[in-house]
Amino acid sequence: MIQEKFYYDNKIVKLFALATILWAIVGMLVGLWAAAELAYPSWNLNLSWLTFGRLRPLHTNAIIFAFTGNAIFTGAYYSVQRLLKARMFSDLLSKINFWGWQFIIVLAAVTLPLGITTGKEYAELEWIIDILIAVVWVAFGWNLIGTMIKRRVQHIYVAIWFFLASFVAVAVLHIGNSIEIPVNFLKSYTVYAGVQDAVVQWWYGHNAVAFFLTTPFLGLMYYFLPKAANRPIYSYRLSIIHFLSLIFIYMWAGPHHLLYQALPDWAQTLGVVFSIMLIAPSWGGMINGLLTLRGAWDKVRDSAILKFFVVAVTAYGMSTFEGPMLSIKTVNALSHFTDWTIAHVHIGGMGWNGFMAFGMLYWLIPKLFNTKLHSEKSANLHFWIATLGMLAYSLPLYWAAFTQTLMWKEFTDAGYLAYPEFLDTVTQIMPMYVTRVIGGTLYFTGAIIMIPNLIKTMKSGHIIENEEASAPPREKIAKKRLAGETPHRWVERKAVHFTVWVLIAVIIGGLVEIIPMITVKSNIPTIEAVKPYTPLELEGRDIYVREGCYTCHSQMVRPFRSETERYGEYSKQGEFVYDHPFQWGSKRTGPDLARSGYRGGKMFRPAVWHYEHFKDPQKFIEGSIMPAYPWFFENDLDYSSLKRKINVMQMLGVPYPEGYADRAEADLKKQAEEIATELKNAGKDIAWNKELIAMIAYLHKLGKDISLATESKKSDGDNSTTNISLSDKPEDLQAGAEIFKSTCASCHGINGQGVVGPNLGDNFTIHGSEPENIYKVIANGAGIMTGYKSQFEKTKLIQLTSYVHSLIGTNPENGKDPEGKEIK
Amino acid sequence: MENNNKDPKEIFEGYNEKFDKNLITDHDYDGIKELDNPPPPWLMWLFYLTVFWSLGYVAYFHWFKQGPLQAEEYENEIAEAEKKYKDTKTGAFEIILLNDETSLAAGAATYAKSCTACHGQNGKGGIGVNLVDEEWIYGSDIKNVFDVIKNGTSKGMASFNSLPDKQILEVASFVLTELKK
Repeated sequence: MIQEKFYYDNKIVKLFALATILWAIVGMLVGLWAAAELAYPSWNLNLSWLTFGRLRPLHTNAIIFAFTGNAIFTGAYYSVQRLLKARMFSDLLSKINFWGWQFIIVLAAVTLPLGITTGKEYAELEWIIDILIAVVWVAFGWNLIGTMIKRRVQHIYVAIWFFLASFVAVAVLHIGNSIEIPVNFLKSYTVYAGVQDAVVQWWYGHNAVAFFLTTPFLGLMYYFLPKAANRPIYSYRLSIIHFLSLIFIYMWAGPHHLLYQALPDWAQTLGVVFSIMLIAPSWGGMINGLLTLRGAWDKVRDSAILKFFVVAVTAYGMSTFEGPMLSIKTVNALSHFTDWTIAHVHIGGMGWNGFMAFGMLYWLIPKLFNTKLHSEKSANLHFWIATLGMLAYSLPLYWAAFTQTLMWKEFTDAGYLAYPEFLDTVTQIMPMYVTRVIGGTLYFTGAIIMIPNLIKTMKSGHIIENEEASAPPREKIAKKRLAGETPHRWVERKAVHFTVWVLIAVIIGGLVEIIPMITVKSNIPTIEAVKPYTPLELEGRDIYVREGCYTCHSQMVRPFRSETERYGEYSKQGEFVYDHPFQWGSKRTGPDLARSGYRGGKMFRPAVWHYEHFKDPQKFIEGSIMPAYPWFFENDLDYSSLKRKINVMQMLGVPYPEGYADRAEADLKKQAEEIATELKNAGKDIAWNKELIAMIAYLHKLGKDISLATESKKSDGDNSTTNISLSDKPEDLQAGAEIFKSTCASCHGINGQGVVGPNLGDNFTIHGSEPENIYKVIANGAGIMTGYKSQFEKTKLIQLTSYVHSLIGTNPENGKDPEGKEIK
Repeated sequence: MENNNKDPKEIFEGYNEKFDKNLITDHDYDGIKELDNPPPPWLMWLFYLTVFWSLGYVAYFHWFKQGPLQAEEYENEIAEAEKKYKDTKTGAFEIILLNDETSLAAGAATYAKSCTACHGQNGKGGIGVNLVDEEWIYGSDIKNVFDVIKNGTSKGMASFNSLPDKQILEVASFVLTELKK
């Protein structure tokens, strides 16, 4: 047979391997620091870019996309060439893949700490980086499929099926989830709103786990495990069955991240059942891996590499059993928002992804450098210390999760929350937060031990950057299915067909769930009282996103008595229609904030409370682990993009009146000044244009519309504004004066002389001087003045009306100039 | 293709894949071979079981509407709680000023935990109003103070109705009597 000579590109594999090691260290270090901040909040050193909310996205992105991403490319670039008996399709694409990916990582490492983020978990990078990711990812796919087309072997091996599915699915997910409209170079709003955004985001988020952390690693397993064990794959048929079922079913399971949340029941059900159906397809991979070691278990005892692989595959099996269990609603009711999720993903991340990557590096580096591993002993030490670290990390978090969720849900015999103070449930688990840092440190130490071992290995050998190989050219056989050829065997030799089938398999689940959510109106019942964000609230919301508040606070009260008793009314789908992006969060390190603008509710805190709390949480609330935000007090609010923001929101269907963008700035200032005045009255001097003011405005918006809707419903029937009979009893006037002093004086002056609002003591009126007119304005508001009917019962409103009416003609000192008509 | 190689030395050297009956002889990928073992039957059964379970789940909740969906489940929970705690929580409760030492001590403890952040340790106020002067915006009767703590105020005080009525009464009594001393 004729042999064709060609060269494997080993240089690109080496580069990816070095990048894997570098980003592993960086990603873990950031994770360690973030974990330490939960135990010791002062570790943020009062630096904005070092605060938990900004480090956490950096940690997740660095581990997922930098560390495991480079590990995938390392393994794929090594194995694809050898499995297909061909050099990569294009050296240029390989280089674009490598340098482009590293460039993206550096951009992420700069932008995320700066708070440049979309606020969507694992998709935090802003639009301009999203475009780069798409380009580089397509370069990878192009290179992969190109190599498949010019391969010398007839059939494509299972490892490459998994790489291919990963490429196709991640491309679809990334592009689908990142459709956003730029506000400026560094800021964009997602086109999806509220519930839709949640569904799209978790379709993406869940399948980033599936197609970035699972399928490519199965690809690595199918190559490196049989290589290291020198054993045949246990079952070719199992490979086919679990590959097809896995990629098809995975895409449906996203809604299990949103169980018991403001999501239609049908979507939740799909999330539950498809997660349960994932157990066997996932275990197919584990079984095929473990049974491949049949007859090689004696080697496992001695080889650190195989030990890494065995624990990795076992951790994969554990995670993929635990995941479906957490998707059962009863279990999810307990586990969600707690550290259970964190423990679960770290079994997957540290165990499956980390150990696969370490095992692969220990096998690959000696092969690349034509030498032996410098120290098997050191690799074994790495294995044991990392295993111990993984346990010391995750077991305390499981313990913390059980403890905290039971405390959240415990009621006393009399029917009250046993731990009404959220902080008590945090203080209880602090020892676990300390232990988890120790576990993380051990795991990190293992990785540090690996570095000199690998460097010495590299130094002891010599890499052949272009390794010579030879293989016969691919034999041309009929395009049609041959007699006796199974359909799967047939597509295994047809690269393009295979790609198309994979695309169809992965796309169905997402389409079935997302399209009805966007097109069928009944899925998101609207609530009339819910109003768009005011310009100041919108700017505040952007700061909330920037600071990564969603990494610790949810905005989603689930329909459980234990939550409605703690936070207030449960969250409804219609509340989020103007949320680009949604900010429901997935972890409650602090309490839920969905009702923090619900006046008179359990979660409402006055402006001055927020002032003190942002300034120094620990001084204010002993034992709190909330970081301080001193820069809110120093930074001027940057509302330079406000006009564009309003325009973008209008494009996305938010009903601001036409031309509102031009008036937005004035409204922003007005509202900011009101809050600054409120703070000033409480003895806190702060300029209206500081970021703090916008944050307070936003926090006071959350749940506010719902509170108004419920209150006005409650007082229906007692809500007529006609036939108001005033009282002239001194005690009523006195009561009215008290309300006036506490509520109205900040705008109308202590004697009604007028400040921001008009003079009430002169003989002029804007809205009329009859009792009905005054009552109506007080109850419903007028112009910039808010209505107070939701805050006071009718008798109190009448007392207030009586008092205001009595002010007419008192002509207080320093009166504001008259406005409106003269009273005859 | 079936593997017909016979292993002459099997009994001496243990397992050797080359002679494995299940080896698929024409599968060789960079030296990696594959076996033609069937998937473990228990795994296949597990898969069928989860599919049936899923169909059953959908049928139970959506086709035959046997189980409560989210909103109904919540209503049931609330109804159950109301029934269960009728006597303790929503039952008649007399709001009178407590003056026994145990209640006031309990009130002091609650005050220290839940009230000091806004009203200060000695009640002189801060974010919240001064509780030790003679001014009472919402009235100084035990009933008024109880009401303010339980239901919050429109000015910004949060509602503490997640605390038992008894505990609210204790802290209200403490505020009205001991705090000033």
